[in-house]
Amino acid sequence: MNSLTYKGYIGKILRVNLTDGTWSDFSLTDELVEKYIGGAGLAARILYDELEPGVDPLSPENKAIFLTGPVNGTMIPAASRVGLYAKSPLTNSFFHSSAGGHFGAELKYAGYDGIILEGASEKPVYLFIDEGNVELRDASHLWGLDSNTVQHEMHEELGSEEIHIAAIGPAGENLVRFACVICGCRALGRGGLGAVLGSKKVKAVAVRGQGSVEVPDMRKMRLLLDELFAKFNANPSTSEIMPRYGTPVLVNANNTLGMFGHNNWQDEFYTESEGLSGETMRKQLVKRDKSCFACPARCSKFSIVGEGQNEGCCVEGPEYEDIFSLGSMCGHNNLDVVAAGERLCDDIGVDAIEAGVSIAFAMECYEKGLITDKETDGIELRFGRDDLILPLIEKMGRREGNLGNLLAEGVKRASEQVGQGSEFFAMQNKGLTFPGHSARGMPGFALGYATGPRGASHHDSRPTGERTGLVKRDTIEGKGEYTARINHLNILTDSMIVCHLPEAIWGPLDITDNVVRCLNAVTGMDLTLDQARKTAERIWNMIRMFSVREGYRREHDTLPGRFMEEPIKTGPSKGMVISREMLDYMLDQYYEFRGWDKETGVPTREKLEELGLEDLTEDAANL
Amino acid sequence: MKITIKSFANIRDVLGQAELPMELAPRATLTDLFTRLNSEYGENFNRQVYDQLSGELVPFLILINDKTYRTTVDMDTPLSDGDVVTIMIPFDGG
Ligand code: SF4
Repeated sequence: MNSLTYKGYIGKILRVNLTDGTWSDFSLTDELVEKYIGGAGLAARILYDELEPGVDPLSPENKAIFLTGPVNGTMIPAASRVGLYAKSPLTNSFFHSSAGGHFGAELKYAGYDGIILEGASEKPVYLFIDEGNVELRDASHLWGLDSNTVQHEMHEELGSEEIHIAAIGPAGENLVRFACVICGCRALGRGGLGAVLGSKKVKAVAVRGQGSVEVPDMRKMRLLLDELFAKFNANPSTSEIMPRYGTPVLVNANNTLGMFGHNNWQDEFYTESEGLSGETMRKQLVKRDKSCFACPARCSKFSIVGEGQNEGCCVEGPEYEDIFSLGSMCGHNNLDVVAAGERLCDDIGVDAIEAGVSIAFAMECYEKGLITDKETDGIELRFGRDDLILPLIEKMGRREGNLGNLLAEGVKRASEQVGQGSEFFAMQNKGLTFPGHSARGMPGFALGYATGPRGASHHDSRPTGERTGLVKRDTIEGKGEYTARINHLNILTDSMIVCHLPEAIWGPLDITDNVVRCLNAVTGMDLTLDQARKTAERIWNMIRMFSVREGYRREHDTLPGRFMEEPIKTGPSKGMVISREMLDYMLDQYYEFRGWDKETGVPTREKLEELGLEDLTEDAANL
Repeated sequence: MKITIKSFANIRDVLGQAELPMELAPRATLTDLFTRLNSEYGENFNRQVYDQLSGELVPFLILINDKTYRTTVDMDTPLSDGDVVTIMIPFDGG
């Protein structure tokens, strides 16, 4: 029994001190969940309170938190997720990454809403939570294994395939700054949180449980579920397009609009994109459709490479982002290489977006003569060389040679090492590289990238409103409020935690009733739409204050030179660009709507007080 | 007048080809085009672009030649002989 008034939660988080190998329970309170819900919101609050500003993300003083939200483990559609949270070694600020699959639900069934990992172990360990029993086990024999093999070995060792595991690969152990964590076949991908686990010598976390998640009124819950599933089945995106083609459908869609990053964003129109398209993938690779826990959208694809050098390679994916980063950005359209590359990224344990964009950056540096055979260990790095993708992923994941070490630092730090003006085309913001959605072609989304607390994430803001024509994409007017409202939708769903992709149901331009009713049905909170929006705004400001405390200000809410000075060269979006003036104009709108100081981008005292964040006003005043 | 419809993914699957020539009455609008596609391809087409509960066309973009139009506000746009109409896919997510 927990002491919470609200349902949906287990009521406790496991706190593990890796330095001395002890653990205890952290109890959730009504106030914490009312103000921060769960997932990203709750983790931001805990990390703000428990981390000293300026802490090295790869030191024992950083903490990594696995966390669910109230809806996870219930039948709410797309509530499949688990989040991982820490100060990121890429961005030096609060970072959240979430994955679908089954780990989140199983963690709750095992008896915990989440796990706080603090300190660092001397030797490799894995954590096993089995029906509420906790064990920290030696993982020396597993250290060095790839993320897939380690899961198999642990299933053998623990005697069951039913155990759900989140594990790092060699990249996490090698402190590659964009190392990820793999849960089953799904990635807690971005932000380098795998390196944080690696720095703590945590190879894996395994969970098993047969518990359940209580909701206040099962009859009401069933009625809501019937209604939501009917909506999923009626909407073309969730009922037809996602199940058939998944996210790779965006290759042709974005390229047709001239918004498909190519050759390190030197252009956004790729004449050979058909080879990478969702349609080609369906014919060439896909063997079956897959779904996450409790999701009718079935957007995941299980693929096998049928012939050639990578014959037999099987992978869940590739997703649109992999196709963009490991294919188009590197100047080739070999879908088999993309599939094998994605599999290798998962196995070795790196974020595929960061990996592909890093390779593309290095290719451009080499073609421009900014790095030579000396820095590349003799490799002739040129766009279009699909034969280099797999060997380079290996090199960066294992930090092999000059090039492997350069790339393992991520694009921002690599460009600082290369210098010579390369930061102009280092396609990152705040340390995180841009994924495959155009900034130049969608001004509101560009503003979202610029202001994103995680840097260039496509899940702080979203491209959907501009890409589907819900709002005009050829104007900067009104984009401040537009972006802020989408921020709030995303952060609320990231706190509950539900997958963003069925956003036609959740939004897509603001928090809707569908979201709030899910939250209320599971917790019994009885929030109004306005109260839910206020809660989301509170969490957003909390996270902004984390960034502010780490030194982030208005000048960091920016875009790479290429997006601000080089218009798109060809295709239907030819000529589009986000100039500094356009960005400044939108930033003013955005800060004004948010009640933040326009000069600095810091939340004002009044705004913090209005949101019930009085305890942060002193930090804001002492900057 | 004669137009060409370009499509991909699910809509291409329903129409059967990436580029489909179509004869329409002079001054036909985008709405007329969708009414025609609906009657010719029936539920298979309807499910790809209309919400099955509200019956409304969902938001997505349409290119006429290289210019962008929005289903939310531009369905009265008249078409001209020789136009190439690209139907974007109504996909949220990604
Ligand atoms: S929409 Fe796709 S990624 Fe999201 S929960 Fe459903 S199946 Fe998983």
